[in-house]
Amino acid sequence: MLTGFLLEFSQALLVLMLAPGLAGFVRWVKARLQNRRGAPIWQPYFELAKLFGKEVVISNNASWLFRVTPYIVFASALAVTFLVPFIAAPLPFDNVGDLLVVVYLLLLGTFFLALAGLDPGTAFGGMGASREMTVAGIAEPTIALSIFSLALGAGSTNLSHIVIATLDNPGVALGPGHLLAFAALFVVTLAETGRLPVDNPSTHLELTMIHEAMILEYSGRYLALIEWASWLKLTIFFSLLANLFIPWGLALTLTPAALAMAVFTLIIKLAVLGVVVAVVETRIAKLRLFRVPELLGMSFVLALLAVTSSFLLK
Amino acid sequence: MDNLFSQLSTLGSSLILLFGIALLWRKSLRAYTVAFQWQSVALTVMFVLIGYFSQDVELYIVAAFLFVLKVLILPRYLERMEKRFGDHRELRPYVNTVTSLIFSGLLVLLAYVVTRPLVLVSELPTRGGLPLAMGLIFVGLFVVITRKKALTQIVGFLVMENGIALLAVLGTYGIPLIVELGVFLDVLMGFLVMQVFVYHIHDTFESIDVDQMNELKH
Repeated sequence: MLTGFLLEFSQALLVLMLAPGLAGFVRWVKARLQNRRGAPIWQPYFELAKLFGKEVVISNNASWLFRVTPYIVFASALAVTFLVPFIAAPLPFDNVGDLLVVVYLLLLGTFFLALAGLDPGTAFGGMGASREMTVAGIAEPTIALSIFSLALGAGSTNLSHIVIATLDNPGVALGPGHLLAFAALFVVTLAETGRLPVDNPSTHLELTMIHEAMILEYSGRYLALIEWASWLKLTIFFSLLANLFIPWGLALTLTPAALAMAVFTLIIKLAVLGVVVAVVETRIAKLRLFRVPELLGMSFVLALLAVTSSFLLK
Repeated sequence: MDNLFSQLSTLGSSLILLFGIALLWRKSLRAYTVAFQWQSVALTVMFVLIGYFSQDVELYIVAAFLFVLKVLILPRYLERMEKRFGDHRELRPYVNTVTSLIFSGLLVLLAYVVTRPLVLVSELPTRGGLPLAMGLIFVGLFVVITRKKALTQIVGFLVMENGIALLAVLGTYGIPLIVELGVFLDVLMGFLVMQVFVYHIHDTFESIDVDQMNELKH
């Protein structure tokens, strides 16, 4: 029991510490691909340290909602890190929540962020919030559907059970249901974490920004928490992609060797996905905002096909 | 062995279907042609695959014909027509992109429902691909119905034809060679006739938007 709790907390701590590094790594690879030297990989840690040390400035019009949102966003992302099998399966907290809880915890953060964008009454905030809701409204069911197609194969909505079922039956990983769901979840990952074809993570001053527009009013430790939460979200989505579809390397027993191996493979998988995302972001331009629903519609159809093929071909 | 075969055939069929659905999301004729070309490549691979697993030499011959006709000749013609008419984008189809994508998903669902009795009684290792092939036929038909440009309608027709070929090869491991050759000739002739029609439409209306043909009624 105690080792279980220890595992959970060390896993959450690991992901918490890894998240800024992953964001920095993606930025660094992108910079290298664009022939720039790029900031070092640990730059986001310095950013966090700087922001936590700064004073918070809040608009006079902001209500309690504005103040409480960073904590909700951060806490909901942190809660997810306890439920997703990052390094080991099964987890002792499996009974606490399954994939539905994970999806809606992530949505909870998005929801409050959109509210906080509306709260101070600035034009940018409202714009960002309405855009974020447009994207989230299509992206959220796609996440649920694509993970459902895995759940149908495994016979359980529990993330650890899905992982173990894939490990038991490796042939499934090459089935059409799996591949379609992977493609769908990948597109949604780009949309939900504010990556390029949907939102540009590296600019403040674009009229088409989504995430940045909502958090424009934040400063100091609030901004630090929100940034950290968005990096956490990136890590969570990458790990879902990596561990649900390619679960090899996860520790099934709690021996030190297996856990060390699991941490190592997790970092490798995240790095590979980071490089893929950086290449995608360098290769393609941002979509016009009105074409974003088309892209997400495509990924929704992929997810729908994934569910159909895993449901009807059983 | 059978297990691997059925996995590969389902995977290949999904890929072929995806190229069909990609038509609905793209707009330029160039993208339509490229999607059709890649779909035909995937279909050729499928024929070779089924020929290998069922040890049927005829299927290799059919695959060779298919490659020449659908990967080399037809896309070349399509490109030539595209050059002649300029870059006509499918800007305002009857059904917008998101709706047509969702419709295509529903059509594939419908295909699953329609082919369910067939899949249930079938013992073939390739049965997993049957609904996908049926879905591709529906999607091709949907492209023909909802797009306005004559050229994109032709690509829709060709995609539908690919669906029929896929369904035939999955369901029967290849119909007799002579029938297959007849079908190819049919497709080529049909395509050429349509090409002539497109040229005439373009000469008469100075556009290949078939919507304008409504003017003939007045």
